[in-house]
Amino acid sequence: MNFLWRRMTAADRLVVAGLMAAAVAGIAWVAAAPPGRRVVAGDGERVLFVAPLEQPREVELAGPLGPTRLMIDQQGARITASPCALKVCMGMGPARRPGDLLVCLPNRILVQVEGEAEESAPYDLLSR
Amino acid sequence: MICSAADREPLEQTRRRVFLALFTALAVALHTLEALWPAPAPWFRLGLANILSLVALFLYGGQAAWTVSLGRVLLGSLLLGRLFTPGFWLALGGAVVATLVMVVAHRLAPRRLGPIGVSALGAAGHALGQMTVAWLVLVRHPGLWQLFPLLLLVAVVAGMLTGWAAAVLLERLESHEAFRKAG
Repeated sequence: MNFLWRRMTAADRLVVAGLMAAAVAGIAWVAAAPPGRRVVAGDGERVLFVAPLEQPREVELAGPLGPTRLMIDQQGARITASPCALKVCMGMGPARRPGDLLVCLPNRILVQVEGEAEESAPYDLLSR
Repeated sequence: MICSAADREPLEQTRRRVFLALFTALAVALHTLEALWPAPAPWFRLGLANILSLVALFLYGGQAAWTVSLGRVLLGSLLLGRLFTPGFWLALGGAVVATLVMVVAHRLAPRRLGPIGVSALGAAGHALGQMTVAWLVLVRHPGLWQLFPLLLLVAVVAGMLTGWAAAVLLERLESHEAFRKAG
């Protein structure tokens, strides 16, 4: 780090410290966000499965390639098995905050964590 | 380069054009090399090409930095076959905001801010530009912005390293006859 420090002016150090502090505060804020309320899984057109996030369970969601296994536990919702080739969806890890998304494009599975806002929406359906 | 000592102005202009062309060519080469290099995540890149934009900014000013940055994105994307693809718009959005931030920062504090500070600010601008384009063009999902703090942290560290490389390069260049006169 000395090689960097030697070539930095006082203003450089201030700028870097400010940006680092903003980034760390942002990471802490995201990590401290309250967990979502429910897990909604679908295929992009229709809802396949809805469950509360606080109740551990395991379920198989049927996609065109085969079943995708979704597990809900203390860490959140995550995909534990998938028939897709690259298993990117399994590598996404757990989703627990409102807005977190797990996607398996080859098997057309979308899992989203929803928070209070979606749950308390005053309507069931919107159409145009 | 051969020129009469009497033609000082045209000599400086020509010299500046030649070096800017060289900086842009080097930036395109680094941009292409970095795009081909495996990265742990699509957004996890050092931004080596920005070294040349920084050098152009500190040696020749804001207009030169814009030339190198935009030239690098356009020519680099053309070489990689990514022109007008989503990746191109992300690169362009990042480069425009980064260059804008760097040029404004350098103009506001030309002596106080060195290459590392300007580069860190530019890297933060790059992250913001890319995120905004991703939000506007690709994914309108609120979860996207949750990635921003992590992206910012990685960008600032990368910006410090590229800023250091630019500072070392500037020290070497400024001690050379050609750049002493141009500066």
